[in-house]
Amino acid sequence: MGEMRITLQSIKMSFRTRLQYRVDTLVATLAVFIRESANIIAIYLALLKFDRINGWNVNEMLFLYSMLFLTYAFVVSLFADLRQFSDTIREGRFDRLLVRPRGLLLQLILNNADLIATAGHGTLGILLFVISAGRVGIHWNAATILYYIAAIISGILIQGGMFIIFSSLCFYFVETNSIRSIFYWNMRKFAGYPISIYHKVIQVVLIYVVPFAFVNYFPAQYLLRKADMANYNEVYIYIAPVVGVVVYAAAYLFWRVSVRRYYSTGN
Amino acid sequence: MENMIMVQDIKKYYKVAKREKGMAASLRYLFNRKYEIKKAVDDVSFSIKRGEIVGFIGPNGAGKSTTIKILSGILYPDAGDVNIKGYIPYKQRKQYVKNIGVVFGQKSQLNWDLPLIESFELMKFIYKIPQEKYEKNLKQFSELLDMEDFINQPVRQLSLGQRMRGDIVAALLHSPEIVFLDEPTIGLDVVAKEKIREFIRYINAKEKTTIIFTTHDMQDIEKVCDRLIIIDKGKKIYDGSIEQIKNKYANSKTIEILLENDEKEIQTFDLNVAPMNTVMENLFAQKNIKDISICEPEIDGIIRDIYEGRVVLDDPTAEGN
Repeated sequence: MGEMRITLQSIKMSFRTRLQYRVDTLVATLAVFIRESANIIAIYLALLKFDRINGWNVNEMLFLYSMLFLTYAFVVSLFADLRQFSDTIREGRFDRLLVRPRGLLLQLILNNADLIATAGHGTLGILLFVISAGRVGIHWNAATILYYIAAIISGILIQGGMFIIFSSLCFYFVETNSIRSIFYWNMRKFAGYPISIYHKVIQVVLIYVVPFAFVNYFPAQYLLRKADMANYNEVYIYIAPVVGVVVYAAAYLFWRVSVRRYYSTGN
Repeated sequence: MENMIMVQDIKKYYKVAKREKGMAASLRYLFNRKYEIKKAVDDVSFSIKRGEIVGFIGPNGAGKSTTIKILSGILYPDAGDVNIKGYIPYKQRKQYVKNIGVVFGQKSQLNWDLPLIESFELMKFIYKIPQEKYEKNLKQFSELLDMEDFINQPVRQLSLGQRMRGDIVAALLHSPEIVFLDEPTIGLDVVAKEKIREFIRYINAKEKTTIIFTTHDMQDIEKVCDRLIIIDKGKKIYDGSIEQIKNKYANSKTIEILLENDEKEIQTFDLNVAPMNTVMENLFAQKNIKDISICEPEIDGIIRDIYEGRVVLDDPTAEGN
């Protein structure tokens, strides 16, 4: 219960902060929206020319992409404080968390929530979902809706877990931004397309190393059943909604182990 | 009275990579680093009783902050024991920190964009402070620190003094029994400093709060603290009362003389060279004196002498404990 109150106060503070700068908030949200839309426009233009990418038509591609945006909209607010975790340590803000009688991750989650990015990615995600969901031949019933929601939650946890793992690395190395940008941001760009179009190595990375494939590709396959699924084990489709829990739990354990290093070195 | 804080032979060593200048050395540094050991805290012991206010001073880099971090559970010591109110800070973090309040003067914990009150509300939830106690403490603290005027202003619009007062309140809302203040008066003007000192004294007197206070301002120490611990290069070099250090180490006295013709003269004498008796005799013999006053030595000067090695202190283990 007490945990809930902290979370609520954190989100309230993030909202109030943004409301201090209304115009800036609006402009920045729009900027995020436009920047992210550029990727979508690129896909759209490409498909005008090719019609299909590995069997996926434009609506199916937009559906695939919408899952990336929708999950990231949550991730960017829930785990915003972990994005610049090396700064948090360097500026001594982490010491502050240690002298409070609460879990460390609990204090970080929803703190300084990036509501601008949430609004930008969220709007675009919803927009793409609305455009595509009715046109890709999904039969929406209780089972598919339930699967979809579970897959979204799992996608949030997968990415949140990755954020936690990258942040934990800050306890070993001072600067981890380049590792993060190689593994997270670049791989996320790959995840915008069906992974079957890539070289085997990249597919392996997307499935087993930074499991973006479970954020959108496999869940979308459950609903769309495209021919390229024949390249992968069916099991991936069914485990997609629980991969998030596993990744998050592993990330949490790694975090617990890594935090111990801080006690002996400080910042 | 019982001991609140017991620190026994704590050590904290850091491994610092040694960097050399020049291109070749930089390349070598990438592959083969040489480390040197920096002794941040080296065999420090002390104990503090409930309700004491202890000033903790030392030059920059002496190990003050490291010691405060060990005491507040942020760092493990490499050796030695710490026991505070029955807890081992770095092993029982969550349980232990409910009992302490920490102010890092250089690092605010307030939300920059929001009114102070929002940060206080967050503290209420983090420390599970009952609403009644929260309101009572907040009302009392804001009266004592004159915060009513600015409690609803965004922190970014506050002066440094106002912000610091906010930080102190945020750290004390849960009525901690032990408070660590790491340079709470840094950069403040005289009025703001005075407010904070009064507040610290008040809290200490009323709640019997045990307070450890680091500062570079000797006025802080003189006006607030009962006891002084000086550390330098990771070692404790003094532990005792302020009076004691004044009496013992103040070798020079400054004498202000008003002459018959209303001219003023200020002279300083080293009592090790000539005792007061001789000094006075000489003065009276040489001058027509209307009035005379002997100024007490400033603790500031004494401490400077200690830092710079002009005064050698006795073995600290023989004192204070």
